[in-house]
Amino acid sequence: MNDFFKLIWDYVLQFLGLFLKNWDAIPTETMRLLREFLAKLGALVGFTTPQWIIDAICALVAIVAIIAVFMIMFALMSVFERKILARAQNRYGPNRVGPWGLFQPVADGIKMLTKEDLVPRAADQIVHLLAPVMMVAPALMLPAILPYGHGMTAINLSSGILYFFALSAGTELAVFMAGWSSNNKYSVMGAMRAIAQMISYELPLVMAAIVAAFAAGTLSPDGIVQAQSGYTAGFLPNWYICTPWGFAAGALFYIGALAEANRCPFDLPEGESELVAGHLTEYSGFKYAIFFMAEYVGMFAIVGMFVTLFLGGYNAPFPFLEWIPSYVWFFTKIAAIAFSFVWVRATLPRMRIDHMMQFAWKFMLPMSFAALLALAAWHYAGRNALGWGLSAVLVAAPYLLLGRFCFGNRHSPTNRRYYFSE
Amino acid sequence: MHDLLQRFLSLPWDQLPQWLFLIPAGIMLLAAAGAVVFRNLIHCALWLVLSFAALGVLYMALGAEFVGFVQLLVYVGAVSMLVIFAILLTPSDEVSASNNPLVHFKLSSAVNAVIGVAVTGLVLVGLLAAIFFSPRAGGVTLPAVAPTLPVAKIGENLLSHTLLPLQAVAVLLTAAMIGAALLAKEDKRS
Amino acid sequence: MLQILLAISAVLFCFGLLATLTRRNAILVLIGIELMLGAGNLNFIAFWKFSANPEALTGVMFAIFSIAIAAAEAAVGLAIVIQVHRRLHSVDVNQATQLKG
Repeated sequence: MNDFFKLIWDYVLQFLGLFLKNWDAIPTETMRLLREFLAKLGALVGFTTPQWIIDAICALVAIVAIIAVFMIMFALMSVFERKILARAQNRYGPNRVGPWGLFQPVADGIKMLTKEDLVPRAADQIVHLLAPVMMVAPALMLPAILPYGHGMTAINLSSGILYFFALSAGTELAVFMAGWSSNNKYSVMGAMRAIAQMISYELPLVMAAIVAAFAAGTLSPDGIVQAQSGYTAGFLPNWYICTPWGFAAGALFYIGALAEANRCPFDLPEGESELVAGHLTEYSGFKYAIFFMAEYVGMFAIVGMFVTLFLGGYNAPFPFLEWIPSYVWFFTKIAAIAFSFVWVRATLPRMRIDHMMQFAWKFMLPMSFAALLALAAWHYAGRNALGWGLSAVLVAAPYLLLGRFCFGNRHSPTNRRYYFSE
Repeated sequence: MHDLLQRFLSLPWDQLPQWLFLIPAGIMLLAAAGAVVFRNLIHCALWLVLSFAALGVLYMALGAEFVGFVQLLVYVGAVSMLVIFAILLTPSDEVSASNNPLVHFKLSSAVNAVIGVAVTGLVLVGLLAAIFFSPRAGGVTLPAVAPTLPVAKIGENLLSHTLLPLQAVAVLLTAAMIGAALLAKEDKRS
Repeated sequence: MLQILLAISAVLFCFGLLATLTRRNAILVLIGIELMLGAGNLNFIAFWKFSANPEALTGVMFAIFSIAIAAAEAAVGLAIVIQVHRRLHSVDVNQATQLKG
């Protein structure tokens, strides 16, 4: 028994010792210590611990850590989103529960848990129950491939991007299941809108991701982040967003991410004024909370993907800031992008459905091809003035042409005439 | 107790992973059966999706991760949505007629069903017999090193050995997209 | 193990055949064809895994191309089903007999 406590004390000291050394390596070193500790623990009891048990425990620890981080981010986001929106609208926002209203998520959670769980009598009971599960499972699996820091990828897949988009395809199915099983006209309409929107915006989203993957020459997120390390001319980071083609693809990915996450201005599926709440109409209580949670976790995952693909992942923006641990940079960038999402929501009105579809098919898809062409020009001309100029022209020309011909003067804003029904 | 634990841990666990593919395979077969027998078309489509997802997981379990992800992306993301949209756009009487099957009972469809089941049974028996009792059955063993599927090699292969098929598929997909859009377009004359 | 995989694939193929032969709804017939294609792909992957030269990736390439072609087939097939429904107000394959000689 004494040996047991000694072993634990030894490893607690080693763990604390990590904080005195390289902060960047704390998470990876902790996992290594855990592996050693488990092996020695087995030896103490008297048998050799099989490798698969150690692997399973370490995997569990990683899973719990990632899910916990994303849950905390979801809770903070739900209160900060309301506070930021309130500030944008000259209000205070939630400030009753806890200091500065920070415990609002707890109160919301208790409210959601104690609400009655209503299921319509005409609903397809089983599908109605399975839809939230189908929604939340892929959303929780998405963060597994994001590189959080140096050597901090939970699953280092060589086809990680493909994994990401393959799993996020499951969301569409969950939305359909929710809408159809509710047996409600508005639910089905909302679900169909959501699916049409997700399918349309998935194309430019994947095309933009392909641009980044082409540039790095790999489908592994970690490889893409490593390809973006370093600086041009000593100050400009080698992030893809800092190149003409990368800027175009990044902007397309950003817009696509807004649409995939059903965020304003693409929140038509839940347009309260016309569709009640879309596919969520017949959900209440904890199932509704699960949908809500899945949507936010999915949003953070896709923001993490955006950061990984275009914003240099865990790389520091300037050489003199590299002493800050890599994972801090990653989460700072996620927080910045999430803040911009809220900002967009506070600023822009909701789009009309035909405008939204036209925008996806007639503007974003051709633009993503143009970004790919610009990348090809960059690749063959090299990272010099010729490359910059060629790729900038190849991005700017289609932008101007598409803007002129698809959304040209025909739709320029005119004085709106109002007709009242008196 | 200690002895039992030791014995439990010393079971041939390293043999287990190569048989884990039976789980997705079983789910896939059950879901495929569901897709065939259910009356409600939407339920059929949902079972089909489960079947395809399990098939993708089966590919991953067999070591072909890339193909598994492609399967998930194409079938769960695209084909299933097509099927669901098609079901919703074509309200069919097969669902509503199921309230009282005797009213809509037709001898021809019953004969059809019997013939279909008989043909399928014959094919299944023939296939299984060929698989298990052919002279060369059982001669194949797993290679010593389990094959892996590096993504980079697939890319190289696509652009070297299979460049012509790749371009043919590109033409085919473009033609299919145009054709599908033309076919599904509303007929202006009517 | 290869035999078990082939048997699984054979059963899957027969489910697809059953759907194609017995169901009257055109969409279910298409579902059956998709199941049969999936069975074919499973065979490609199984033979790749047990082939003497897996580095050649032949089975995998076949499976990838087959998935792409299956997607095209599903899109065109469902578009045809929608067009048939528009003309005949039914997706019963027994009623689409206009081209019958």
